Amino acid sequence: MNRKLLAIAPLLVFAFVCVFLYQGLFANPREIQTGRLGQDMPAFNLPDLMQDGKRWTNESLKGEVYLLNVWGTWCPTCLVELGYLTKLREQGVKIIGLYYVQGYDADFDGPFDMQALRTDVTDMLGRAGDPYQFNILDLHRTLSLDLGVSGAPETFLVDKNGKILLHHTGDINPRVWRAKFAPVMQELN
Amino acid sequence: MRIFLLSLSFFISMAVSAEQDRYQFDNNDQAVRFEELTKELRCPKCQNQNIADSDAVVAKDLRDKVLVLVKEGKTKDEVIDYMIDRYGYFVHYDPPVTPATLVLWVLPVLIVIIGFGFIVIRQRKASVKQTWSSNDEALLAKLIADNKRQEQS
Repeated sequence: MNRKLLAIAPLLVFAFVCVFLYQGLFANPREIQTGRLGQDMPAFNLPDLMQDGKRWTNESLKGEVYLLNVWGTWCPTCLVELGYLTKLREQGVKIIGLYYVQGYDADFDGPFDMQALRTDVTDMLGRAGDPYQFNILDLHRTLSLDLGVSGAPETFLVDKNGKILLHHTGDINPRVWRAKFAPVMQELN
Repeated sequence: MRIFLLSLSFFISMAVSAEQDRYQFDNNDQAVRFEELTKELRCPKCQNQNIADSDAVVAKDLRDKVLVLVKEGKTKDEVIDYMIDRYGYFVHYDPPVTPATLVLWVLPVLIVIIGFGFIVIRQRKASVKQTWSSNDEALLAKLIADNKRQEQS
């Protein structure tokens, strides 16, 4: 009996390792960053991207369910998701952009040029679709840091009391929307 | 060899002065804390680098934030908590004991205990005292006698 058990022990270890590694194949390493889930939107006071003098705060966003989409013209994946986000806007989803300013190199950034950025943004949204009600400019990425954003695109679902319900890293596509966002949205309505 | 050491010391001193140029500290204590923290905090973008190593924008932002917090006089734990609040436990290379991570601490101990248990049980089995009765004595005598007869014939 004992000898038999000993004989199949390597097989058992092998099976265990197989199962462990197999599930690792399909695990998304970016799923774990969820520092702000269930908490209120952090306090901020940031300018509008397009309108001089206009400012947005965490208080002024309260009252409606919205998606906060972190994006930038430098980010190819953001360009890809703009089309689907625009469709969502047409279905009545309120989407607010958080513009994540980033040069192509973190250490050798040129001086910030507001006019060039606005031209870039208008151009890109004109070509790919404009899903945003408005854009908040996060020039020094302070709100992004407070939200635990590690890059773009990232999307937060915020309820009308300003509570963060979802944090998604990566693009929003029909599959992600169906699996992750739609059930929560349905509960809210 | 001397030339090698000389050039080596030259490179090392260059690296040190470059580091000091970039970040200014009020005292040595802050510099040490900053260095420890940037080595212990993990970059959320390039996941197998610490923020001291990584060139990602978010790593630079985190470094700058650590610098600000350290200069404000925050302790090491306060800075780590600040980052965990935003980026989750993931951002620290020293994960706390939670139900999800318990297995990391318990499993190695369990394996060692089971291994030693296995050895002890085997030892015990091997050293069990043999019993010896008069029946066995008789059986042995008979076997010896049988063999003797076979040899003679």
